[in-house]
Amino acid sequence: MDEPRIPKATLATVILRSFLLQGSWNFERMQNLGFVYALVPALRQLFRGEELAAACQRHLVYFNTHPYLASPVLGATLALEEQRSRGEPGVLGVAEFKGMIMAPYAAIGDALFWGGLRPMAAGVALFVAVKGSLWAPAVFLLLFNLPHLWLRCFGLLRGYRLGLGVIEVIQRHRLPDLAVRCKEATVVLLGVLSGFLVYIVCRQQGVAELWGLFLLVPLYLLAALVRKGWSTLLLVFLVTALVLGLSGLAVS
Amino acid sequence: MSLANWFGAALMAVVAGLDRTAALQVMISRPLVAAPLTGWLLGAPQSGLLVGSAVELLWLGRLPVGAAIPPDDTQVAVGATTLSVCMGQTLGLHGPGFVLLCVLVALPIGKIGQVFDRLVRNWNNRLIPEAEKALADGRPDWLETLHLQGVGRFALAALATFGTILGGGSLVVWLVAPVLGPWFTLAATPLRITLPLVGIAVVLGTINVNRSWTLFGASFGSALLLLWLV
Repeated sequence: MDEPRIPKATLATVILRSFLLQGSWNFERMQNLGFVYALVPALRQLFRGEELAAACQRHLVYFNTHPYLASPVLGATLALEEQRSRGEPGVLGVAEFKGMIMAPYAAIGDALFWGGLRPMAAGVALFVAVKGSLWAPAVFLLLFNLPHLWLRCFGLLRGYRLGLGVIEVIQRHRLPDLAVRCKEATVVLLGVLSGFLVYIVCRQQGVAELWGLFLLVPLYLLAALVRKGWSTLLLVFLVTALVLGLSGLAVS
Repeated sequence: MSLANWFGAALMAVVAGLDRTAALQVMISRPLVAAPLTGWLLGAPQSGLLVGSAVELLWLGRLPVGAAIPPDDTQVAVGATTLSVCMGQTLGLHGPGFVLLCVLVALPIGKIGQVFDRLVRNWNNRLIPEAEKALADGRPDWLETLHLQGVGRFALAALATFGTILGGGSLVVWLVAPVLGPWFTLAATPLRITLPLVGIAVVLGTINVNRSWTLFGASFGSALLLLWLV
């Protein structure tokens, strides 16, 4: 097998540039220009002149995936481009590979990072925030970014090393299952946090804590209204008006 | 507020705004991070923490999937924190009640962020023909400049949303604070816990997990009973 032609320093630049993947996000082709922006330093190592322009043109087509899972795609794309620059026939073309992989990776990333890890990290950090500690933002950033940054950095390197084999690696890690576990953990965390918050309210208002169990009913009611499509803003204003009214009544 | 404070708040709005979509995405843009950081820059970190706790969960279930643009909770958090400090000094009002009033004022105005975001994404459509022309002219290097122009446009959108929340919010707070201020001061204690609870209910209503209500109810009851026992 041939030696890799892209120096490590260039790969590091591609990793850094991948943090700007969505910088020119547009409705027409979404992350296309960002994808080219991240790849260009490495493409310059592989192609010159018109070949470089043609390589850039290949990546100017529609592209959209989860920004974190774009890293393995970038790495595998570089491996395929390198293969092409050597004149080796590949099993799959660059465009076919990207077209095939972007939608499933977007779905996995959205479910895992936006739908799973982010609410879970927020739930843990809110415990710290409720206690009035200014460490809450640090806790949130640490919990969320450890897996995020690991995937972004090592994802690209593994993608480059494995080429098309990166698809199998992502499959092996069963990320969709992990997303479901994260969501379940989030629900439990938020349940405990609600219990704690209700306990505090009861104590502050001089009400027996066990009455707080009945607050589960309005919480379920609010959740049901959200499921029915009620606006969050409307609910916030309704609940605030209710609390203001009850506080006024209590004083009068 | 000094000029340095205004500059710090605007810088925070731009950095957090970029982190939301265009750059990094290391979650500096989450209200629980952006608001305390803004508060720290303005000398009121606890106000920022209160804003962040109240706003964090409200729109967390609205995912930035595909072409969907969730409400701009980042600028709501930065804007509400700045509003609470600057209008607090102007009107002589302080405390958690006033901070929460600022949050409630900033929340609806923050919806404008979606409009600015959509405008920028449409504006970025124009970068594509320019990029193709640059390639046809044999100038692939120009693509990098075009991409960075897109980042600049997102920064402008963040600043525009922040400015609107601050401008509109100042006017509304100035009008309603004398009337509603005492009510919010009175209800500050339950309100600071109620808003996160609404956020939790919103997450419960949007999260896609089997038996989520059972899990939630069991953990809620267990926590409350345990705290009662201890």
